[in-house]
Order: sequence, then structure tokens, then C-alpha cells
Amino acid sequence: MHGRHPRQSAGFSRRDFLQRSAVGALGLTSLGPLLAACGGENGNGNGNGGGNGGSGEPELLLARPDSPVEWPLFDDNPPIESGLEPENGTLRIYNWNAYLWPRLLRQFEKEYGVKVELTTFTTADEATAKLISGAVDFDVYFPTPDRLGRLVLGKILQPLNLDYVPNLANVWPSLQDPFYDQGSRYTVPYTIYTTGIGYRADEIAEPPETFDNPYDVYFDERNRGKTFLLDDSREAIAHMLLRAGVNDVNSEDPAAIEAAKAELITLIDAVNVKLSTDDYTYIPEGRATVHQAWSGSLISAPYYLPEGLGPEVLGFWFPEDGRGSIGNDMIAIPKSAQNPVLAHHFVNYVLDEKHGYDNFVNFVGYQPPFTSIDPDRLVTEEIVPPNLESVVVRESDFDVAYFLAELSPAGANLWQNAWAEFKAGV
Amino acid sequence: MSERPRERGRHSLLWPGLALPGIVWLCLFFLVPFYVVLGVAFGTVDPLFLTPQPEWNPLRWDPHAFEFVWEGLASGGGFRTVFLRTFAYVAIAVAISLAIAYPVAYYVARFGGRFKGLLLAGLVAPFLISYLMRMLAWINLLQEDGWVNAVLMWVHVLDTPRTWLDGRASSVILGLVYGYVPFMILPLYAFLDRVDRSLLEAARDLGASRFHAFRLVTLPLSTPAILAGCVIIALPMFGDYYTPDLLSGSPNTSLLGNQIDLYIRGGQQVPVGAALVVCLMLLLAVFMAYYLYATARAERRLGR
Repeated sequence: MHGRHPRQSAGFSRRDFLQRSAVGALGLTSLGPLLAACGGENGNGNGNGGGNGGSGEPELLLARPDSPVEWPLFDDNPPIESGLEPENGTLRIYNWNAYLWPRLLRQFEKEYGVKVELTTFTTADEATAKLISGAVDFDVYFPTPDRLGRLVLGKILQPLNLDYVPNLANVWPSLQDPFYDQGSRYTVPYTIYTTGIGYRADEIAEPPETFDNPYDVYFDERNRGKTFLLDDSREAIAHMLLRAGVNDVNSEDPAAIEAAKAELITLIDAVNVKLSTDDYTYIPEGRATVHQAWSGSLISAPYYLPEGLGPEVLGFWFPEDGRGSIGNDMIAIPKSAQNPVLAHHFVNYVLDEKHGYDNFVNFVGYQPPFTSIDPDRLVTEEIVPPNLESVVVRESDFDVAYFLAELSPAGANLWQNAWAEFKAGV
Repeated sequence: MSERPRERGRHSLLWPGLALPGIVWLCLFFLVPFYVVLGVAFGTVDPLFLTPQPEWNPLRWDPHAFEFVWEGLASGGGFRTVFLRTFAYVAIAVAISLAIAYPVAYYVARFGGRFKGLLLAGLVAPFLISYLMRMLAWINLLQEDGWVNAVLMWVHVLDTPRTWLDGRASSVILGLVYGYVPFMILPLYAFLDRVDRSLLEAARDLGASRFHAFRLVTLPLSTPAILAGCVIIALPMFGDYYTPDLLSGSPNTSLLGNQIDLYIRGGQQVPVGAALVVCLMLLLAVFMAYYLYATARAERRLGR
């Protein structure tokens, strides 16, 4: 259901368009969706094999912060034994584009005397379809929490042997035992982010924090034509729910979703709202004055400011009390991994304090949940400009923030159809 | 003349053989994918992975996705809005394209003279750059402080900069026209270049003015080319979804292609996206049928 993902804000939409244009250039535009359908179909056709084992008794539970889930272990999908030597084959990683610092991979190659091969995907749907098809075998995969249950019950992922991952101790205690995967049986956390409101402080009529209800800034007609929401059904609807005081951002109450949809539709006339996932460029470049944004995007945004403007013209609002929407990404090892021991070593390598920090500040821009990263020092060390302090995610945020978690199939349809109605315009 | 049947007999395997690659191509890249789309549209989703589960047996086809689309159309919901908008945009864009393409093609064909080759090369030149790159270039040109506004203000057409990218239908339609107009010029040119000049001379000899000769001879002769040009550009326009994405981004300009994209690229309702594809193809098939009928009629009338 998550159509987009924060990582798509790191420049894939253009790449995406390039792929689409390849079809367009042939003049076969109407075949585009058709071919896409074929792709999805293939993934699934073979997927029956992968799914057989999983569609048995274990129920697909919807993990929520107040009803955590401990995923079952299966006899036919055991974790690897402890104390094995890492393989010396090529480590194959499947990740979002630009989501790992290339130099980190080179270092790992050197240290272990192996080759690392990175394959990238652009949407989580594409990635899951490929993994389910069984046509690919990767050693390391970066899933999202909203489809973890399916990957576990379908036995696409293998349980982790945490003996190989002592660096999990570097992670915030709460995320060592997250609600979506109690005991870190199948995943370890990779990065964390919040969804707030990014803006150009020098152009906005009134910044969000001056409103009684900061989400009202989306409805401020003085920013007409320059107001953007993330082109993502979950994120955009979640902000409308939060504005209306519905704090269950995973609500499946038709009335709540209907009301959120109606609010979205009024935005079309009120401010001529537009949709994009290019928050990290639209805000600095000035195309957007107000843009619903992922926290990590604002860390990359200063690179895209026009000459002569400093990061002080950027702003990011996230509720001071932390009661906004939040999410995190994970690392996992597919069952079909050819080098499972080496993969465990890699997972541990990324969770190393120094490696994770370097990866964050030199390249990725999304913060790893390490206890060693002092949020205040990110500002004093000028990793984050002082006026953007609100992009820093704190462990305490996870206690109160609202996590966009997996929806039931019926709930997912409800959200998607509301989104499609809004996207059809008026 | 009498040798012909013999020749044909000798090469009886050659001619079908030459058609074979085309037939294989058509089967592989049209019929099979189309059946896949039908299978997805009439299929279900995997209960665990929520990926589409195509149904290959037509006897077990499940029409729920079509029912959903039909309800949306009948109740005046989003699907109807988008269908009507898509038709309106494409109709306007095709009309503008024709108004631009015909004079250009006519000029090159009739008066191009020794520059004909150069002019043609100029017309084909945009193809050297991908559609996407041209649209991205327009984003820069159409920005508030972009060159389009600068020029229009310099010649006093505009007093204040126009917000071209502000979710305007006009920008999307102009984007469609710009993107597809070369596809219309080329077939028109190819046809107008072959119009027999002696027919025009005869018309003039019989007392028709230049304009009358054009209206009574050239224009009727070029009807099939006009129809072909319209069909060639209308079909891809109906499936376009990145032009509105790039030049507008507003829900108010989203086209059918955007809804298909939404349902196929994310979530668990891929059959709905596939059903929209099938509905669009059925509608386009109606247009294609009219095109075939109209060209056949035009050819009959021209006595060929």
C-alpha cells in the first residue's frame, strides 16, 4: 500500500520518469501500464511456490505499538548455526537507490576479502514482487515494516541469528525489540524518520508553528499554488487524520477516511494543492513554499538551495511533543541467501557505530537509531543546521509518535480508493 | 501478366514467410500481453502477498474489478471525472496539433523546394531527445522567472509573470501538443508530398482560385492522412500520465493514465488498474474502428 517511500525522495522520481519515457518514446504509451501489469503478474505467477508454505495456519497479524507481534519461527526455515565462518562468495545486496554509502561497501569488501554487488529497486512493491517470485537470490534486503508480516509468513526472509549481530546493542533499546518484530527475530532497524511539514521560511506567509493547529498551514490560501503534499496515500491521508484529531494513523474507520478525503479535496480549490515526492528539491528550489516532507529530506535539502541562500531559509515542523507520524526502515536476510553467514556479518557491520554514523552523515541523510548519536551534537557539529533541529529523531519520539503500520487488506483498499478519488481531482 | 500466377506459385512459402516476423511480433508483444492484462483484470489477488493472481481460464473470470470501475463511472465519482477530462484534453490537443501540423506539412511539401531535406531533418530533430528530457526542459522554461515569461513580458503580452506550472489544464494540453505534434506532421507531409500536382493544375485551369483548389482538391485528398495523424497522436495521448505529472502535479489535471498508474504500481488492487486499461482499450478500439471505416470510405470516394 505504501506507494512511495522516503528513499524515493532521493532522486528516483526522475529516474522513474526516464523509465516511463522509454516506453513513451516508442509511442506505445498506453502499453506502459500494460507492461507493468505483466511484470507484476510474472512476479506473482511464480509466487505461488513461495506462498504455499506461508498461507497455512499462522495468521497475518497487524502489528501495532500497543499490540506487538512476535513472528513465529518455522521448522523448515531455521536460522543459521552459530560460530560459522563467513562465506567468500559475492555478497548481493538489494536496496533502495542511494541508500548505502558506496565507500562503506568498498571497506567491507576489503575487510572480508569478498566482492559486494548492489542491486537497487525503486518501489517496495517492485522489490517484494521480485523476492516472492524466487527468481532472485539476494543476501541482504531492506524491507519496510508495513509488509514484514507477509515476508515472514511467506518464508521469504530467514530468521536472524543474533549471535552474529552483537552491534544490535548499539541500537536504541526500544528498537532492539520493536513492536513490529518482537525480539528482532527477522529484522534489525536501519534508519528512522518522521513526517512533518517542510517550508521555505523566507517565502511562507506564516510558518506552521504559529497556527493553533499547525496542519492548517496546508489550507493557508496565501501559499496558494505552492502547497504540496507527499504523493503517498498513507502519508497524505495520515496528516489529514492528525489535523482532524484522529490520532490512529492506521485507522480503518470508513467515516474517518471519508472525512480525510473530503479535507484533501477541499485543498484542491483552496490552495490548488499539488503532489510530489521531490520534497528534498522542491522546497530549496522554491517551487514549493509548503511541502509535507520526510525529516531526512531536509538534511539533503541545503545542497539544492540556489546560490546565495543559506540553510536558514529552510524550515521543518514536527510536533514538539513528538506526536506526529514516524517510521523506520530495516535490514533483513532473505531465505534464499547464498551467503547467509557473510550477510549476518554485513548486518553487524552496518550497525557498527562508526560505520552507521559515516553512512548517515556522508551519504544517506537518514539517521540510524544509535544510542551513541547524541541528537544535540548533530546540531553543534553542524550536521544539521540549528534552524532544522526538528529533523533530528529522538528515541522518546517513538514512545509518543504515530507509526504508519500495516493495514488489513480491506483497510488498505479503503485508503487507496479514497486516495484515487482525491487524485482524480474535481 | 500471365506470368504472375506462376511466380506466385514458385514463391508460395516466401510471402507468408516475410509476414512471419510481423505475426510473431504481434502475438508476442500485443496478443499475449493483452491476454495477460485480461487475466489480471478478471483475476484475484494472492491472499497472503496481495499480489495479482491472474485467472487464465475465461470461464472462471471474476468481473469484480470491472464492477468497481463501472460503479465509479455510473455514480459520477473520480473515474468519470478522469474519463471526461482525458477525452476533453485529448480532443483539444489533437485539434491544436492539427491546426499546427497541417500548415507546416503543407508548406514543407509544396514550398520546401531545395530546403525540403533540411526542413524535414528539423522536424525529426526533436526525436533525437527523449520525450522526458524535453518535458523537463519545459519545466525550466515555464518557471515563473523562466524564459517564456521573460519573452512574453518583453513583448508586453503579459504584464506579470504567469504561473504556468500551477496545475493549469492549458499547460498540460500545450505539453501534449508539443510532445506529439511531430508525429502528426510526418504522415501529413508524406501524404501531401505525393499529391499529384496535375490535379491542382487542372483545377486552376477549370477556373478555381488557389483557395478553391485547396479546399476542393487538396483537403479532400488528404482526409485519410488527417485521420491517420489524429489517430497516431491520440492513442499515446490517451495513455499519457507523465506530462500532467511533470507540468502540473495537481489532482485537477490528472488523466486516466495517472489512475491506472496509481492502481497498478501500488497496493493490492492491481485488477482495478488492469480493468481501467481494458476499458480504455475498448474505447480506443471504437475510435480505431471509426478510423478504418472513414479511411475506407474516403478511399472509395476517391475512386481507388
